Amino acid sequence: MSKSLLGIAAVALCLTAAPVLAADKGGGMSDDEVEGLFASTCGFCHQDGGRVAGKGPQLMGTKRSDAFIVNRIKHGKEGYMPAFGQALTDREIKGIVHYIRHLKPD
Amino acid sequence: MHHTRAMAFAAAMAAGALLTGCAQQETAMAPAAAPQAAAAAMMPVPPDGATGADWTSYHGTWRDYDFSSLDQINTGTVKNLQVAWTHDPGRDTRGLQSMPLAEGGVLYYSGSYSRVYALDGATGKVIWSYFPKLDEGLIKRQTHSPYNRGVALGHGRVYVGTMDGRLIALDQKTGKPVWDTKLINSQKLTVGFTGAPIVVKDMVVIGAQGGEWPYRGPIFGVDANTGKKKWTFLTVAPDAKSQATWGHNSWRTGGGGGWMPGTYDAATNTLWWGTANPAPLYDWSGADFMHNGARPGNNLYTTSVIALDPDTGKLKFYHQELPHDGWDFDSAIGEFVMIDQGGKSLIVHPNKSGYIFVYNRGDASLVNVWRITENSNFVQSIDPKTGELIGRRDFTAGHVDPPLCPAIDGGVSWNSGAYDPRTNTWYKVGNEWCMDLKVVKTRPILEPQAQLDIGADFHEVPPPGADKPWGHVDARDPVTGQIKWQVKFKEPPMASLLATAGNLLFVPDAEGMLHAYDSRTGKELWSHSDGVGHDGGIMTYAANGKQYVAVVAGWGGMATDGFPKMFGEPFTSMPRNTGVLTVYTLK
Repeated sequence: MSKSLLGIAAVALCLTAAPVLAADKGGGMSDDEVEGLFASTCGFCHQDGGRVAGKGPQLMGTKRSDAFIVNRIKHGKEGYMPAFGQALTDREIKGIVHYIRHLKPD
Repeated sequence: MHHTRAMAFAAAMAAGALLTGCAQQETAMAPAAAPQAAAAAMMPVPPDGATGADWTSYHGTWRDYDFSSLDQINTGTVKNLQVAWTHDPGRDTRGLQSMPLAEGGVLYYSGSYSRVYALDGATGKVIWSYFPKLDEGLIKRQTHSPYNRGVALGHGRVYVGTMDGRLIALDQKTGKPVWDTKLINSQKLTVGFTGAPIVVKDMVVIGAQGGEWPYRGPIFGVDANTGKKKWTFLTVAPDAKSQATWGHNSWRTGGGGGWMPGTYDAATNTLWWGTANPAPLYDWSGADFMHNGARPGNNLYTTSVIALDPDTGKLKFYHQELPHDGWDFDSAIGEFVMIDQGGKSLIVHPNKSGYIFVYNRGDASLVNVWRITENSNFVQSIDPKTGELIGRRDFTAGHVDPPLCPAIDGGVSWNSGAYDPRTNTWYKVGNEWCMDLKVVKTRPILEPQAQLDIGADFHEVPPPGADKPWGHVDARDPVTGQIKWQVKFKEPPMASLLATAGNLLFVPDAEGMLHAYDSRTGKELWSHSDGVGHDGGIMTYAANGKQYVAVVAGWGGMATDGFPKMFGEPFTSMPRNTGVLTVYTLK
């Protein structure tokens, strides 16, 4: 379901701004790639793929800025979230931010 | 009366665990006890099954009873139980999850970042402390960190594992390091040591984290005197036979591990250990898991109990509790209750799924399998004679319907139950929760550093017919599963239990209350707040002729992270990353 919605969102953006999307979409990560990355590494705490609060906070609809999210992914928060700055590439982090921004209810 | 009790107490301390007299006296004091329980209470306690003044290993003794012969604190006196002293280890990131130990009136325990303390058991005065210098950059990158679940005592030393992959020996009298051995490349593999080590003969044994991390989950045997590594047992595919149970060479990233301490059967010189789940946690194989999905095959020796020769680390025998575990229901719980019954030598081991496996100690052949939870649907049942999983649910990618029961947090969690050998009663927590699950295809991430491989989106949901998850403490026959009594809890208690010859069962609950029940009836006799949720150990010991009960409180374990969403207050406002050791005694 979420993959479909992400796909629809991506298609909608493609229709209007395909060249921009190619540049902005997590450095070119596919929806499947970024969804798999999120489910592998982030989903244990950010539950339902980040759609609901659980072990970690809900990410869908977050009011945090891209810069805040990137900083939190890279540096973590002691006792709450690991730092992924050395584990994930800038491309992957960009892909996750893109994924979060396009989350829709499942 | 008090004089009699003091004498019984002293005798128990001197003899270690000769309980018959104490039990008879206690039974006489409590005429309300059921006749059956009273008769059973007269049974002698195996001499190595109960602790006395000391509590020197994770479960007290090798029999994993979490049961003490001390009875100064009992059903009659517990009303006078009060706080003797407290201690905060500091830097309580992810709470306080360890099991304290005691020897010669000194209490030893660890906190997060593998901080170790030796405290005067009567006063709490610090005798020594040890804070290892850790790779803090690595710890910031680790998910399940930096809690520590306990130390081991032996050969005049205190042993502790670290999150950055080391095992350290400290002088028991001074706390000075004796040796410090790097065992695993945590900087690359992410996994380290959170579980307590154990001392077996001239060896220290410790298991690494694993499960969802794509490695091969080693268990190490280390020379207790020199720190030299003597053997490594890889819980994932250590031999050709087991390698063949991982299709597509998936054994290279298979997970496994042994993140809680095992136990030692001296009669057969056998080391028992429980292994963790394979990675990814959730597979998309569908029903034909032998040929499809991320890791086709049975995935030996994950989600298994294994029996090793402690001198060589060689596998003697094993039983895989859940072949091709696709539900994250580890066998890593380090509770192996040794019971001699009807001429048989048995071991009772809880699987995270909520199924309880009863084995012959000689070869891990099955005697029985029973279930402690009400809500379970990952299989229809497990054959109690063959162990076959009947009606198993193996998922494909996408949403799972109906929700999976129990939830990822387990039908039982990693903390221990307690066994009263006088009455053949095992006290154990059961958790009732399910989860909405969507299986997602993933690929293991190994570079530049191994990452979790979950393979799913999920969130916990109440079991059918309930508006919230809940938990219960059961008193059961550990071999048959027959229930004697049950106490229900609004939230599953997440800490270990303690039973004593004072006919008491101590239950530290999730909200932070420590309860004492009459262990024969389940009647609550006493409670006291420790200020924050319990998620660790509890034990009892004696110092200067007085009995003490020590319990750790501190919230922040992985399974507890979802409590604010599931239950609201007091968990919404409950501080994480705090912790305190509270020690009780009689007025």
